[in-house]
This record gives sequence, C-alpha cells and structure tokens, in this order.
Amino acid sequence: MKEEVRNLTTQLAVIGSGIAGFAASIFAVRRNIAVAQIGNTGAVAYTTGYLDLLGKEDGSPAAVIDPWQALDTLAATQPDHPLAKIPAADIRRSFTEFTAFLGECGIAYGKPQDHNVTALTPAGTLKQTLCVPATMAAGPRAYAEKMPCVIIDFNGLKGFSGRQVAANLQDRWPGLTTERIGFPDMSHGEIYPEVMARALEVPATREKLADLLKKAAGEAQVIGLPAVLGMHRPDHVKAELERLTGLTIFEIPTMPPSVPGIRLREMFEQVLPEKGVTLIPQQKVTALSFDSGAATLCLCDSFGPIRLRAETVILATGRFLSGGLEAGLTGIREPLLDLPVTQPESRAHWYCDRYTDSRGHAIHRAGIEIDSSFRPLMTGGRPYSERLFAAGVILAHQDWIRGRSGAGIAIATAYKAVEAAERFLSSSSSS
Amino acid sequence: MADSTIPTINFKEKAMELLPEGASFEACLTCGLCSSGCPASGIENMDPRKFIRMAMLGMDAELSQTPWVWCCTQCKRCQHVCPMNIDISQLVFLARGNWPQDKKPSGIVRSCQMIRSTDSTSAMGLPPADFVFVVEDVLQEVRETQPAFRHLQAPMDKTGAFFFVNQNSREPMSEPDEMVPLWKIFDLVGADWTYSSKGWAAENFCMFSGDEEAWYEVIRKRVDAVSELGCKVWLNTECGHSYYTMWHGLKRFGLAADFALESLITYYARWIREGKLPVNSRWNTRKIKFTVQDPCMIVRKAYGESIALDMRFVVKSLVGEENFIDMQPNRSANYCCGGGGGFLQAGMTDHRRTYGKRKFDQIAATGAAYVLTPCHNCHSQMEDIGHFYGGSYGVVHFWTLICLSLGILGENERTYLGPDLLALID
Repeated sequence: MKEEVRNLTTQLAVIGSGIAGFAASIFAVRRNIAVAQIGNTGAVAYTTGYLDLLGKEDGSPAAVIDPWQALDTLAATQPDHPLAKIPAADIRRSFTEFTAFLGECGIAYGKPQDHNVTALTPAGTLKQTLCVPATMAAGPRAYAEKMPCVIIDFNGLKGFSGRQVAANLQDRWPGLTTERIGFPDMSHGEIYPEVMARALEVPATREKLADLLKKAAGEAQVIGLPAVLGMHRPDHVKAELERLTGLTIFEIPTMPPSVPGIRLREMFEQVLPEKGVTLIPQQKVTALSFDSGAATLCLCDSFGPIRLRAETVILATGRFLSGGLEAGLTGIREPLLDLPVTQPESRAHWYCDRYTDSRGHAIHRAGIEIDSSFRPLMTGGRPYSERLFAAGVILAHQDWIRGRSGAGIAIATAYKAVEAAERFLSSSSSS
Repeated sequence: MADSTIPTINFKEKAMELLPEGASFEACLTCGLCSSGCPASGIENMDPRKFIRMAMLGMDAELSQTPWVWCCTQCKRCQHVCPMNIDISQLVFLARGNWPQDKKPSGIVRSCQMIRSTDSTSAMGLPPADFVFVVEDVLQEVRETQPAFRHLQAPMDKTGAFFFVNQNSREPMSEPDEMVPLWKIFDLVGADWTYSSKGWAAENFCMFSGDEEAWYEVIRKRVDAVSELGCKVWLNTECGHSYYTMWHGLKRFGLAADFALESLITYYARWIREGKLPVNSRWNTRKIKFTVQDPCMIVRKAYGESIALDMRFVVKSLVGEENFIDMQPNRSANYCCGGGGGFLQAGMTDHRRTYGKRKFDQIAATGAAYVLTPCHNCHSQMEDIGHFYGGSYGVVHFWTLICLSLGILGENERTYLGPDLLALID
C-alpha cells in the first residue's frame, strides 16, 4: 500500500496551538487571510480562563492595578520586552477583538477595562487580571461587595477545596462560608471537573444539581462553584442553573486539568475549521524551509505525510513545555529553524541559587529576537526570512509567569505578527 | 486444566522500547488531562495517569493483572489530549497480549477463534458457502418483491472488479435485509464491485485479544483474497475497527498490498458531490434532528479530520444542515462510545455501561432524535446505553438514510427507523 503525500497550500501557516497560535488564526481569519494551523495539543488546557495583560512589575511587591500605566513603566525600564514594542492602543484592540470573538463563539468575556480585575484563584488567593469569563464575573463582584456567599465543592473532586478558599479569604470576606455536596449520579470515586462540566450540558443533570445547590446555599444569594458550568455552552449552563436556583452563581478556576482551558481549546478546534481554517491538531511540524516563492512545512498526521506550502508563517511554538525551545547540555536551541536564542552565557547562569529569588531566573527571559515587524532575527540582526513572523512566549526578554502577562504577550504579539504578515501578503500580491 | 498465571511485564522497560523519545513515560507531566478525558477513568480503580505512574514506580505485577486493560478500548483519546503525545494504548495492547488465553475475556477470544476457523474470516463463523447462499437468497427475494430492483446485482468473486467490498458478519448472520440498501447504492452509482467468498468479513477481534500472530494471519488472508480477485480498492463498509486493523496491520506487519484501502464514507461523499447519489433533505419535513458518532477507529486513529468532514457533509446532505447537531467534543476529539476494543464482547456489562455514560450525556446534550454512525460496535453500544440510561434516541446506518432520502428503502430495510421516520415514508 503506497502512502501518498497530501499537498496543501495556504497564505498563512500558524505553527503552534497555544493562545498565541489560536489568536493568530483568529486575527487572520477576520482579515480574510487563508490560514492553516498546525500544533501539538499545547498548554491551552492549563489556563485558568483569566486573560492577564500585566499583573506584576519587576521590583515592586504590589500587584498591578492599572496595567496601562504599568506598560508605560515597562517601556521605560524594559524596552526589549515584547509588550514594550507594541502601542497600548494596539494591545487594547487585540484584547477587544480576541474577547469579542470568544463571545461570538459561545464563551463570553468581559471587555478590557482601564483597570485590572481582582479575581479569585483555586487556592483562595487573589490575583489581578484584565479579562474574566462571564461565568466567573460574579466572583470578583461578590468579593468587592463582601456579599454573603457560599463556596460549594464536591465529594471526590480533587484540586478544589471550598474550605481552602474560605480559609484564605475569611479575614477579608467574613460572609464567606463553604459546603460540600455530592455531584448528581457520580456518587463514588474520583471525579473530574471535565466530566462534571460535560454532564451539566444535559438538562436533567442541571435540574438535579440545582436542587442540591439551593439547599447548600442556605440564606446566601450568591454561590461560588469550581469551574464546571458546562463545556460547550458555559454561558447557557450558568444562566440555566441561575434560573433553576434563583441564585447568582460564579465559577472559580480549578487546578489543571481544568475546564476553562479545555473549553477554549475545544471551542477553537470546533469553530476555526467552520470559519475556513485548515486545522491539523495534535501534530508537530517536523521541517520548515523557505525558498523565494513560499515556505514549505512538512508534517505527518496519523494518516500519513502532509506537505504544506505557505506564503507566510507565524512561529508560535511556545517555550520548553511545548517544544518551541529546547534546553540541552550546551545551551538553549530553537529546534525548527535553529534560530539564534538569546540566553544566559552558560548553564550555570540559568537559575539563581534560590528558587524563590525575587529577581527571577535568567533562563525565563531566554528566547528569540524579533524586529519591529515581528520577524525573527539572525545573528547580525537580519530577518531570517521576509515570510517568517513570530508571536507568543517564545520571544526573548520577558518572564510571563512573573509578570502575570502570558495571555497579554500571546494575544498582542499575535495581533502584531498577523498585521505584519498581512502587510507582506498585500505587498507581494500587488507587486 | 490448572489455572494459568499472568506473567509480569516490565512496563517501564517496554515503554522505553516501544515509545518514541520525548513522548515516553519519562515525559509525563502528571497533569491528568488523559484521565480527565478518558471514559474508562475510575473503572477497576484505574486511569491512564495512574497506569503511567504505576509503571514508573515499577508496580508491574499490579499492572500486568489489572482487568482495566480490557475496559480501556485503546481509543487513543488520552494520547490525543496529552501535551507530550504519550501513547498509553500501546502498553495496554501489550498487557492484553500478555494474559494467558484462558484468562482473557472469553467472548473476545472466541470471536478471534471463529475468525480463524473459516476462510470467511467471520467472527460469527459463517462459512463461505453460507455467505454465498445468504447473498443469493436475499438478492432473489429483492428481485421478486421490489420491481424497481428486478435487475439488482450482488456480484460474488468477480475477478477484476474495482471494489472489493467487505461486510460485517452481523448482516448476513442476523439481519440480511440490511445488506440491500448498500447494494442499491452501488447499483445507482454504477459501481463495479464484488463480494468475495473468501476474506469478506469485516471484524478482527484478534487485534483486541492482543494476539499479534492471529491479527497478522487474518489480515494476510484478506489481502490474499483481494489480490486473488485483482481488485483495485478494498472498500470498508460501515464498520470501524475493520478499517483500522487492516490499515494499521499492513503497516505494522510490513505487508505488501497492490490495492488501496478506502472507506465507504469517502465514496458516499464523493458520489454525492459528483451527483451520482442525488440525495436531498426535502423528505425531512418534520425537521427531525440528527447527530453523528465519529468512530475512533477511522477518525482519530486513522484518517483524522478529512473523513470526519466527509461524514458531516454526507449527513447534512441527507437531513438538512439545520437539522444536524454535532456532539461535543467531536471529530478527532470525540469520545469512544465504549463499544470498541472488544468491550461489547468482553462480558463486562456494568463497566461497559459506566464507560458509555459519557457518550450518553454527549448524545443527550444534542437533543437529537437519531445518531448516525458508520460502525457496528458504535451502533450496538449506543443502542444499549440509550436503553439503559433511558434515552429516547435511535441509531441508524448511513445506507438506511441514503436510501430513505432517495425513496428506495424497501419495507424490510426499516428496522432502525422510529415511528417519526416511518411516518415520513408512508
């Protein structure tokens, strides 16, 4: 039996299926650019659902309340930071466009505001974030107003404890209590948020749960649940449960594997092909090369080899977990094109001695260099190819975990990379 | 016979041997996406993550003996959602093969023995002569009772035919009239096809029993049968694992085959696009809602997105775009129904239904009245869990709905239609 190579062509190939990759596909689709997206499952499923822009400044112990003002500081103190290279108006536009798209596709989000939102974490601590899913929005409001509220958790559910949330918040939120209930028809053993969320897509399960929630809420009018309010239609599931119980309900993210991330991934995988994107999920590009006419990507899906010719490419392959960067004995590499990686002088300089060192670790700022058009640079400062752009946390000079800026970097740089790719496509088609 | 014991496998060593570097057990982040997304999680107190952790801890005796390996359908969804792309199903296959024959679920073992007992390769043991008789007998009846099809053909052992068509044994054995819609479709599109008296059957439970030698032998017999007739395409009809066992088997065993393997779904889509199958949805005046079940064996594990999209194109053409509701998740991310991997034959009914609850919820969430699926195991399992959990949906073959849409569905060919669909015919 002969295995035939399947040949595909596209205007833009997006490599990577994290937030940056999906954001790039979304921005491109909305600009009528033909897109093919390839990428391993990625770490999208690990997100809390909160979309951070900038939650923490280097050297300051306090959380960032006004991220737009903090961006000005960033531009002054870290001019090489990817977010420092993007006008604030573009960052705002990128968030507005991205969240509007999510909303149109069934996962409503709050619009980016002038200030961060104080949101709840799975551990019952607080964090600053820019955009919150509609299913979680009532949590920050209830906290701000210190309303009587019951956090409800479930027998057999690991990774979320109402007692922990309440214990950590009690000093600041005296009206917060907790109750534990059994999830309908899942009476024994370990249960997963994903399974609960899917079960809540079924009306009969919602009705059974609503009865239990009403009892557990007691006198409170607001209840917080782990993020399990449906997988495919969360806003509908939340609205239905609120209608059935007469309560205001909000979700709190859980530890991975958590529902908000799986929700986003499944929505992207569902919606993007419907909008014309050639999505090749769960595969990695094995070779990428450029000639004068186009880029060629080689990959294999379970059925066999695929060869993709693309006029432009956005590299959004992430960092070490997703394989965008590789750490070896002699240093850090970018494995697909062997792009130069800005990195500490030697392995000895990767980490500080103390894990919790407030300065952070140098390895986290390693990454690839780009020019103002988001084109990866060779040693010497020339672009690798006029057809190649990069987005997301593969970029150097940022430490997204410490900065609470993962989604911000992903969304805003994807916006700029698509903008640059679009400029290239229109100039090459008019020439 | 004295009870045999299950030998102990060194799973960690085998994982290093079988799985590629970077996607082996040492790459596991223990994040649990596999277990969270696996309908077999919790059954026999096991799940995919636990399986890997126990292997890493050297708990080989426990893993070698856990009956969970017969509840995992090897659907590969765990690998699909794993950021590190770790293939746990390979280890489950290894564990299954390691069980002595007398300890394995007897239903699976027996089905494999039946397949090897005749040249038909039929899991129900239907010999070639009986298959030829049933086909001729049913054909005769159709010609006599359905005037529009008095010249209908069901060629047998026709040398040089383009399509070598396989058939799940359930049809000739238990519901022979279900073969007729397929013959009518071939007739309508003018397909050059044939059945073969040898190697015609679709099933291959030998793979599910973990018996590589038997799996190979069955594939070999089928390849020889196709080659003997000189057909260009081995056309897999509405059965999931038959495609995978053949397609994957050819690669796994390095077998040369001078013909292509294709799925009937691909051809349904092609014939509709070419206008050869002029189906439409005008018959669906009551706007009856349909969903579709992606069989793991042809979607996630083989063709991927292309066949899933073809399947949706066919369904939408048949029932109307507005009457199609996709299950969530779907396509390559779809859940196994729990009928695969030999689970239906393994005699572990409670476990199988626990597994199937996820599928039941998925179907219930669509609110669809019918599920279409091109797979017999999916078909049987979804019917069973529907009854068990009190669902009100029906399960139908593609060929039934195609002929219904074309107005050529004979009276004996309506077994799977509910009153709502029957009312639209009369």
